[in-house]
Amino acid sequence: MTFKAILSAVACCLLLAAAPLARAQGGASSTATGISRLMNPSLSLNALLLGQVSRDIPTKAANQVDLQELEAQFAAVVDPFWTARVIVAMHPEPGADGIVLEVEKAMAEYRNAPRGFGLRVGKDHLDFGKHNPLHTHALPFVYAPLGITAFLGDEVMAATGVEVAWNAPLPWWAELKIYATNAAAEVLDPESRDLAYGARLSNLWDTSDYSTLELGFSGLTGPGAARADLPAGRWNMYGADLTWKWVSASRTGGPAVNFTNEVLLPDPEFNLGDPLGFYSHLQYRFARQWWLGLGASVARDALNEDGATGESPLHTLRQVKANVTLTPSEFSAIRFEVHYDEEKDGDFRDLGAYVQVNFTMGSHPAHSY
Amino acid sequence: MKRTMNRVILPAVVLMLAVLAAAPVLAAVQVVATLPDLGSVVRYVGGDDVALQVLCPGEMDPHYLPAKPSLARKLAKADLLIYNGLELEVGWLPQLINKARNPDIRPGSRGAVDCSAAIDDLLEVPGANVDRSEGDVHPLGNPHYTLDPRRMVKVAKYVAERLARIDPGHGQAYRERADIFAREVAARLPEWESVTATARQDPIIIYHRNWAYLVDWLQLSVVGEIEHRPGIAPSPRHVEEVIVAGRDLGHLLVLAASWDHRHVAEEVAERAGGVLVVVPAQSGGKGGPADYFSLIDTICRDLAAGARKAEE
Repeated sequence: MTFKAILSAVACCLLLAAAPLARAQGGASSTATGISRLMNPSLSLNALLLGQVSRDIPTKAANQVDLQELEAQFAAVVDPFWTARVIVAMHPEPGADGIVLEVEKAMAEYRNAPRGFGLRVGKDHLDFGKHNPLHTHALPFVYAPLGITAFLGDEVMAATGVEVAWNAPLPWWAELKIYATNAAAEVLDPESRDLAYGARLSNLWDTSDYSTLELGFSGLTGPGAARADLPAGRWNMYGADLTWKWVSASRTGGPAVNFTNEVLLPDPEFNLGDPLGFYSHLQYRFARQWWLGLGASVARDALNEDGATGESPLHTLRQVKANVTLTPSEFSAIRFEVHYDEEKDGDFRDLGAYVQVNFTMGSHPAHSY
Repeated sequence: MKRTMNRVILPAVVLMLAVLAAAPVLAAVQVVATLPDLGSVVRYVGGDDVALQVLCPGEMDPHYLPAKPSLARKLAKADLLIYNGLELEVGWLPQLINKARNPDIRPGSRGAVDCSAAIDDLLEVPGANVDRSEGDVHPLGNPHYTLDPRRMVKVAKYVAERLARIDPGHGQAYRERADIFAREVAARLPEWESVTATARQDPIIIYHRNWAYLVDWLQLSVVGEIEHRPGIAPSPRHVEEVIVAGRDLGHLLVLAASWDHRHVAEEVAERAGGVLVVVPAQSGGKGGPADYFSLIDTICRDLAAGARKAEE
């Protein structure tokens, strides 16, 4: 067992022990003990279990049942000035021995910024595009779309820094976020002393009382990840996303539609090919507890994982996927999904099937719209 | 040039500044209510001294209002946020408050008004052993007190005090209008209770516990709940049990909100030999009751009509 795995296990035990310890204290006065549960943060645990089989990839990683992710979340008002949220995620790392513990979020938000302004400091998902801010258990499919992962990596882009937000006083909802972070996000160079800078502008219109149209633009620049086969340089990326949502007002749990489209335009300084990532996701609630999902994704001129060992360091990947999700309550779900991935003009193709179980314990904050 | 500056531009600038400075004084108190019924009470108590916006449309189940950022725009300029509390809006209000970036209405601030603080006789407050095996229960108690007009009198008086605190100049007017609201409720209570006299003697199956305070007020005889665990779709087995429990009781009413799953309620009513009464559970919405009094009128009238039909 590695040191990381031991550390993870100890951390898990501490997290899980916190709740019963707090409960045992009951209403006892903290004056004598100096210990009180009254100010404890709200705590939630989310678990994702995943079973998968692949027709074309024989590895264990593609044919197994395992924990996909365990997420512990703490949220509290720190004092009159700050609200904070911490998320610790644990997941098996392919090729690693044991479970990796990762601080996905450790962020404080200033409570008293002037009207319309917001200030956040700490580590968080970068506000780039529509998909990157999502937590794993909030993804509409088992994995992030290929058009995203091919350029942003398998993990979300998360980094430590500061973000200023501003609600622009326009006739529609318009929110501008500008941030500066370290370069710890997966596609950047964590060894670099340079910072990454990014911005996102979200615009949302009510297309009816029960439907909205959101149009977002994102930009990010930072020191590129060091790869021996590539020249060093700054890594720039632009993105746009368009989302239409509709929910039936007439019936609780009635029909609903989420239609999300996002395009990424990586523009690295070293300029290889004409890269572009795209996905389109359609989710439809066809019965009170049931969702149907359809997705398509493209990654054009993405870098081969093997670098320049092949004939070309670039390839184009395509993906289609479909799922059905049963949500017996807001706190549990089971999902059945199939993917078909292929490399254009190449040998790689894969048909995979997945079963994912998702459950949440405790007080988990509602997800963003 | 200098003369023009002195005679035209400077007075214009001074006038503009004066208008801008006066604007906040002249403007009504900006109030946002989360629910239409709370909005109706605010409209009654606040009169022309408040500018009101409501977040949840009348036909939408307030448990599940999507947290559209466009709703946060309404909160961004609010002086006062009037909300139901008891975690009824927990799925969307915290997000909207965060998005609005308006420190004046954050929980704990002077502009955040949790109306449940006015209710000293909450129903269905779970014990310490509550967990989600009972469904998506509200751990602080049943939050649907707006369906009892007697409790809404307490809300009106509480809202008046909170408005007076933020707008002392009109404090007396707010309190007087809250008293008028109380007198209006007191005047209508006998009529509402009289109209529903027959229904109050009939056995009733309710769809969801959002009727708890109406049941408490009218002393309705509930013999079953279609959705016995809040937020969880009823199983076929449970529906069958409810049907069996209601069958042969005679004069059975099945009470459902307009957003409940009508086909389930219809099945229960039909197979148990009852009469289905589908009513709006809050005011507002397209074709819905215009205000709170109309809402209670509608519910009482439809219950009475259902009871008459059950007798036939």
